[in-house]
Amino acid sequence: MTSGIPRVAVLLGRRLLLLVALLAAVFAATELLPGDAASATSDRGETAAGLAARRHLLGLDRPLPERFRDWITALPTGDLGTSARGQHVTDLLSAPFPNTLLLGGTALVLTVLLSLTLGCLAAARPGGPVDRIVDVTATVAFALPEFVVSVGLLLVFSLWTGWLPAATLTGADGGPADWTMLVMPVLALTLPQTGWNTRVVRAALADQAATPHVEAAVLDGLPAHRVLLRHALPGALPAVATGFATSTGMLLGGAVVVETLFNYPGIGTVLAGAVADRDTPVIAGVVACAAAVITGVLLLADLVRARTVGARP
Amino acid sequence: MSAPGLRALPAAALALLALSGPLLAPHPLDTPVTAPYARPGDGAALGGDQLGRDVLSRLLHGGDALIAGALAVAVTVTLLAAVLGCLAVLGPRLGAVVERAADLVILVPPVLGLMLLALAWPGGRRLAVTTAAVVLGTPYAVRVVAAAAAPLAGAGFVEASVASGERLWRVALHEILPNLRATILALFGLRFVEAVYVISMAGFLQLGPQPPEADWALMIRENAPGILLNPWATLAPAIAIAAVATATSLATEALAPRRGGKVAAR
Repeated sequence: MTSGIPRVAVLLGRRLLLLVALLAAVFAATELLPGDAASATSDRGETAAGLAARRHLLGLDRPLPERFRDWITALPTGDLGTSARGQHVTDLLSAPFPNTLLLGGTALVLTVLLSLTLGCLAAARPGGPVDRIVDVTATVAFALPEFVVSVGLLLVFSLWTGWLPAATLTGADGGPADWTMLVMPVLALTLPQTGWNTRVVRAALADQAATPHVEAAVLDGLPAHRVLLRHALPGALPAVATGFATSTGMLLGGAVVVETLFNYPGIGTVLAGAVADRDTPVIAGVVACAAAVITGVLLLADLVRARTVGARP
Repeated sequence: MSAPGLRALPAAALALLALSGPLLAPHPLDTPVTAPYARPGDGAALGGDQLGRDVLSRLLHGGDALIAGALAVAVTVTLLAAVLGCLAVLGPRLGAVVERAADLVILVPPVLGLMLLALAWPGGRRLAVTTAAVVLGTPYAVRVVAAAAAPLAGAGFVEASVASGERLWRVALHEILPNLRATILALFGLRFVEAVYVISMAGFLQLGPQPPEADWALMIRENAPGILLNPWATLAPAIAIAAVATATSLATEALAPRRGGKVAAR
């Protein structure tokens, strides 16, 4: 376990196993539904025989384990299955999912930068005015649901000042037409998560400040910012990385809601339609994509933790 | 009253106001009293919504179910977490199960989990949402309690009572739990904030309460298209949700143990 490569393999294997377990649970949960995709998308007056034929066409009459096996073995090839309306799920998601990733990814980068900065600023003088202001602001911010933040942003930036457009216009490539349309959705996602992660950074730094090697650095008379950045921050990174990984899921989920409010061309719209149609493959496809992204970020957090722990004698 | 007690006061006052709100509403819920999206004016202090119904009356009616639901979720999750967390540190097998469950739940964004459960249970409405909030929240909460309880499991008085043949659940409830009061209280506050988040999110996505019910999150969804005409129809419920969530969050912060467990995982 001490050499680099096997440790990475162990971490990767564990995360993949968890991902497969989750996909199995999701697939099973959607199969417990009272209705299925064939009946949800049937036209009024369709005969029972017609319904059965469509059920056969969609492969819904095959046993559950067999269908799950087919679905999950096709996943690594990029084939997410067929929706209840007969479209490839990959085709349905390929245009909007990158837009959602752009939205969530930008918000994640901003969250990381802002919360590390604010957390370090607050930790520089524990109990000082900056620390207290950051603490209260972060505590308020993380409690706000994204759509409530969105309403506030809409009011300030669209209604009162008219600086930013209230709705997203779609460009020729299917993405947002203009970067200004990303500003409010990204801010709505960033503010609550920054609140949360600033608290994580601040608490992790406080824990580090009590460790012997940081206390020794302080007693050696090193300047405060050097102690913070070179001695306390490295030890705080594992906890901080896990915080960011947790935020990834919140950002993807929040994106679905924020997209609805700003008419942003992401997976939110696809998801709403799929819920109405009881379209198991589409929902399972979205969960699979989201879970894969989160697994990737968690794996990164694992690696940061393994490096930090491994680097210590 | 102590300082932390004072800082919990706004949250309690808001919750009481929201729960007794329906008694104070000046107009009936479902009858139009103004033009659609009318600006605040005589008889309607906050104007009308998309059907001309009184925004103030709907605002006063729209919070009781959210707060009652969030309280129910927070109480259930905290109780489950307190018991399971204390047992988990005494029994490694349960501890491992809890860890794996938390690892799995972290992969499902709350909104997607909500959609799945609301689908699986078409008639469930608010109950489906409450269940989703409990299922998604409990594994983390157990992890938080287990982390706080871990140092106690090795403490002399706990080991002594295990060695003397006490049943595990008695040790958990009588020896460990009473020492975790601050952690449990902070956990309860955080779970309440999270429950407000999940339940209002469901309302906004129209997965829980259905029109024509008065519900803060649903009001925001319904009235957002008319935000230019009567901003208050959207702004007032947004302020209400924000006030409840932040007041609870600040109260939790005041009550939380100063070091360790200050940041409990979501």
